[in-house]
Amino acid sequence: MTDDMLETGTLTYTRVFDAPRTLVFRCMIAPEHLTHFWGPAGTSTPIESITVDARVGGSFETVMVNDADGSSYRMRAVYVEVSEPERLAWTEPDTAMTTTATFVDLGGTQTEVRIHQTNVPEPFRSPEAQAGFSTSLDRFAAYLAQRAGESTD
Amino acid sequence: MAATAQLDPEVDSRLDAAFTALADPTRRAILARLAQGDATVNELAAPFAMSLPAVSKHLKVLERSGLISRTRQAQFRPCHLEGEVLDAAVGWIDEQRRIWTERFDQLDRHLRDVQRAHIRAGHPADEENARDD
Repeated sequence: MTDDMLETGTLTYTRVFDAPRTLVFRCMIAPEHLTHFWGPAGTSTPIESITVDARVGGSFETVMVNDADGSSYRMRAVYVEVSEPERLAWTEPDTAMTTTATFVDLGGTQTEVRIHQTNVPEPFRSPEAQAGFSTSLDRFAAYLAQRAGESTD
Repeated sequence: MAATAQLDPEVDSRLDAAFTALADPTRRAILARLAQGDATVNELAAPFAMSLPAVSKHLKVLERSGLISRTRQAQFRPCHLEGEVLDAAVGWIDEQRRIWTERFDQLDRHLRDVQRAHIRAGHPADEENARDD
């Protein structure tokens, strides 16, 4: 179980699940599954608020409701890749953020899920820009460490 | 105006500009220099085999992204690193990481529940049974 950031041009999160790949993939595109896990801790995602049209160009929408104060955040996305059961990708037009989920069958009943996120606008999504983006984030962390160790003002 | 990592369209577009500005080695080097203190265009240009106008162009991109600011009145217009914009971008990264960590935790629990239910119902949790919706 690892959560690696700053890999190959994106933020990356990886986790291994004890479940067959087909089931894990279904969980990511079925509202009756998504409602159980989509909202982070302290929020819920009502099943009636979830729209999944799992094909390229189809909608992927959820409303995450804050359990404490009832405030909500609507995510509106469009699928850009649906390759069951290997890969799923969606773009949020509001933020230009693309999330790619890759499902790796580790044999037996283990599945690794890798989430890659880019917040880079389309014109910059070349391999060179991706490399630059990754390096920039690496150095970014270094800058902050450096800033923390100095009095800059 | 405080920079925060909220899911606010204005902040999002600022972050977008910040990440775009960072996707260039020269601009990252300029920021590294500014992390040590304010500097003029001439001082910033010194380590680069690059014309002043080329460096100025990079500074404009950084200025538009909010990562740096420049004094209007002083003759040499020193550049200043805007720490709060850097912090906002780091906050955004932390927030995304938190969301996916918690989502994975919940998915893990959900997968256990689903598979236990299948076993209780007399179905092994194999791939065929995972497709039964």
